Amino acid sequence: MQKFIQDAKTGNIDLVDHTHKAIEQAEKINKEYRYITAWADAISRAEELQKLAKTGKATGKLFGVLVSAKDNLCVKGVETTASSAILKGYKPLFNATSVQKCIDEGAIILAKTVQDEFGFGGFSINTGIGIEKPLNPHDKKRTCGGSSGGAAGLTQKANFPHLALAESTGGSIADPASFCGITGLTPTYGRVSRYGLIDYANSLDKIGTMAKNVEDAALLLDIISGKDDHDSTSQETHGPTLVDTASAIHGLRIGIIPETIGEGLDNGVRKAVTTALYKLEQNGARKIELSLPVSMKYGLATYYTLAMSEASTNLAKYCGMRYGASDQLSAPYNEYFTRVRTANFGEEAKRRILLGTFTRMAGYRDAFYKKAAQIRTKIIQEYAEAFNKVDVIITPTMPVVAPTFDELKKLNPLQNYLMDVLTVSPNLAGIPHISIPCGTSNGMPVGLMITGPHFAEHKIIQVAKAYGA
Amino acid sequence: MNITPELVKKVAENARLKLKDDEVKKFAEQMKEILTTFEQLGEVDTTGVEPSFHPIPIKNIAREDIPKECTKREDALALTPHRQDPYFKGPKIL
Amino acid sequence: MAHKFTTDAIIGLEVHVQLNTKTKLFCSCPTNVAEPNTAICPTCLGHPGSKPVLNSKALEFATKLSLALGCTIAPTAVFSRKTYFYPDLVKNYQITQYEVPLGSHGIIILDIGKLIRIERVHLEEDPGALIHESGATLIDYNRSGIPLCEIVTHPDMHSPAEAREFMKKLLNILGYLGLFDQNTCVIKADANVSIREKNYERVEIKNITGFKEIERALTYEIERQKQQDVRRETRGWNAEKGTTYTLRLKETEEDYGYIVEPDLPLFEIDPNWIRAIKATIPELAEARAARWVSDWKIDETDAKIIAANIDVAELFETIAKKIDPVFSSRWVRREILRLLNDEKKELRETQFRAQELIELFKLLIDKKITDRIGQRIIEQLAKKQFSPAAYVKEQNLVMVADENTLEKICKTIIEQNKKAVQDYKNGEEKSLMFLIGQVMKQTKGTAAPNVVKELLKSLLA
Repeated sequence: MQKFIQDAKTGNIDLVDHTHKAIEQAEKINKEYRYITAWADAISRAEELQKLAKTGKATGKLFGVLVSAKDNLCVKGVETTASSAILKGYKPLFNATSVQKCIDEGAIILAKTVQDEFGFGGFSINTGIGIEKPLNPHDKKRTCGGSSGGAAGLTQKANFPHLALAESTGGSIADPASFCGITGLTPTYGRVSRYGLIDYANSLDKIGTMAKNVEDAALLLDIISGKDDHDSTSQETHGPTLVDTASAIHGLRIGIIPETIGEGLDNGVRKAVTTALYKLEQNGARKIELSLPVSMKYGLATYYTLAMSEASTNLAKYCGMRYGASDQLSAPYNEYFTRVRTANFGEEAKRRILLGTFTRMAGYRDAFYKKAAQIRTKIIQEYAEAFNKVDVIITPTMPVVAPTFDELKKLNPLQNYLMDVLTVSPNLAGIPHISIPCGTSNGMPVGLMITGPHFAEHKIIQVAKAYGA
Repeated sequence: MNITPELVKKVAENARLKLKDDEVKKFAEQMKEILTTFEQLGEVDTTGVEPSFHPIPIKNIAREDIPKECTKREDALALTPHRQDPYFKGPKIL
Repeated sequence: MAHKFTTDAIIGLEVHVQLNTKTKLFCSCPTNVAEPNTAICPTCLGHPGSKPVLNSKALEFATKLSLALGCTIAPTAVFSRKTYFYPDLVKNYQITQYEVPLGSHGIIILDIGKLIRIERVHLEEDPGALIHESGATLIDYNRSGIPLCEIVTHPDMHSPAEAREFMKKLLNILGYLGLFDQNTCVIKADANVSIREKNYERVEIKNITGFKEIERALTYEIERQKQQDVRRETRGWNAEKGTTYTLRLKETEEDYGYIVEPDLPLFEIDPNWIRAIKATIPELAEARAARWVSDWKIDETDAKIIAANIDVAELFETIAKKIDPVFSSRWVRREILRLLNDEKKELRETQFRAQELIELFKLLIDKKITDRIGQRIIEQLAKKQFSPAAYVKEQNLVMVADENTLEKICKTIIEQNKKAVQDYKNGEEKSLMFLIGQVMKQTKGTAAPNVVKELLKSLLA
């Protein structure tokens, strides 16, 4: 990546030609795997950058690098729909802050990548009405994972310098990274501005990065991090840049939660993960057993209750007025809203809206919404206490390798949700986590998830690099 | 957890979604299963525990009362067919 | 439902006040822009991906108002999402404060000493403005996101007149605090009203604009409730027709499904910050008037009327430091305020200045000029600034009280108005006034009226 950036800046590479070829490749990939929902005008941008290179004015840490953005990230003038039919044709008037930061560093925005509608899913099979599901880059009969399925697939498949902006609410970066065999980095909540991110659940959404290796994922995260006046929840970032973080493992205490490598786990996954842990121990890490009972038992219910409560309010704005899908205006207004929403939301979106509306309704609010918020406090505390004892916690990312589409058809909605069991608690607690490939099972990649305390991204990156990612 | 079709219809109306009868039935069953599982939240002792509405403490972020540049009207109106310049158009009230 | 009401009518108000900030509550679009849909941005249009950021001035203003109303301020301010669907609500949820209001437990005291309890004061965003046209609903989103302060009372008012007085006092406080510009900001109220005859079945009247309309609407509604069947419902107020009409039945009330607003932080209210704001609250009208009565012994009504106008009150206080307050208060009320009311002007739209008025009042109190001349000079001081003392000297307007001088003039007037003299001698008191008037005319108003009167009477006796 660094060599490419250098060459692009100095004009050793014909950036326009390179970009043409890259787009050609991406189009071919897309035809086969269906990762892309909309294309940006990358050529014009490449021409602009080429001029700068020729006049010696080329600057930026991502100069000439093609960056794809998950479809829920606003890219000015490019169709942005969060893979939902209700936003068909919507072209934002502004760039998401994270997208703008990439552009400011000389990146070329390539395209929007496909996802589960609004982020509602872990397999990218809940794409919106009329939107094709992406296929796993290793095996077209299998899912990419989700909800950032397109981003992960494209990252795996692209042979040109490419980085992906992705997003996680309950594990939507780690999950597809694990299933596609690439690196997915989810930062601490608040590290990256959510301005321009189409909301799923505002207290859970995090923008993160995907790449073929840890260094590149860290590079992109460095660039998009930082406090933004447009997002009241964004935080200052301190400390060394992540891309410069060196590998380190000796003497590090690794927390292991026994339930996460017990039953319910694919045998092949368990084998790959325990082998990885052994390797780290060989290099000087110390394993310490941890117990996080509340997180393990109640994380899923807590996550879904809060996420769906927030999501159902976030989706209220989609009603056929002011932008997006619309219909013939008619009275009464409630009937119009109902008509547009019913016709354009997919089944999973409807299900989550119904559930999330219920959990905050008078009479149920205390038992669900409020209770979940209290349990969240306990889960955050559990992790904080755990990190007093260990430096990082390591678990498998997913309990299985990428399922086939046929296998998924057999699952009911609840079973779908249960697949998130390993990723939801770190996401609830807002702690940073990275998924790196650690071997295969049945020919399909297995993901290893390293989590650390708030704002300690450097720690998880140290360990990831030590493993050899 | 008792999720009746009537309850599902009420929730759907609140959320401005119209469900066919077979959908009501299907969602009712699914919601029942899911919410019964979620009911286990009640098992956790949360006496004296403050709720968390963010995973990290976020306090006191505000901005100065200084006007900034606005979006151009034409750009905003161009996003929808429902316009009657200089206004946005909406479905009739009453 | 059991209740403890005993009075004829029960009234509660929910008042919405637009705060006088430069920008909206959650974005930096300017407030107070006329051209439709030009004060807009992704946030106040509710575009996907946009986020709210709180206007610190709005929080300050709302806190100030809460304090002035005697409220307790919440230690932590929390915002909530209130979800409902309407074409003027861009996100189909309104960011408001549900769980914990900013201020609570306040009061306003009516003149008869009755306490109207204020249940809560909180901040929320205004929706857009709907313009109804046949066949369509048109919307201007300039108003979307404007900061509103909502003030909710307990149902402590028992007549439309009390409601009107409450609103007047609230407006007066808002004026004193400078949070509300009468020319640009709007004040609206929802009223809950029920009457004894119908077992206190409660009706809500929504969106009444202006405090005069509130009295009208309540008067109409109470009468209507006496004459018609009453059911629990929400009604609108048609100001043109002067009637209320059904909007929707309360049974089908929306479940707002409140959650805490996750895009905003919590706001810990620092007691030092509250203290600093409290220090900026001027002495309010009631307290001020009471102080004048107690310290200066001026007439209570005069005090209240002057104190109600913050600018005139300031002016009066400055004058009263130099000129006897009782005297000044009379002149300020009867001449200055009267002039402002007659010409429908604000003090700042005139040329009045304390300096010149002090000079004038000194001339009056020293009996150097007559009241009439004083009145004339005041009328001129409204339009331009000049020294009354110099003017009086120039124009020879010094009061003439010397009996010898006046006697000569009286004799002349008697000579010239034989008919009037005859009428007076026949018992017509009015003719005496006429003759006095003629002397005043002759002396250009400078003759001391009481001296003239006595002289004429003795000359004609």
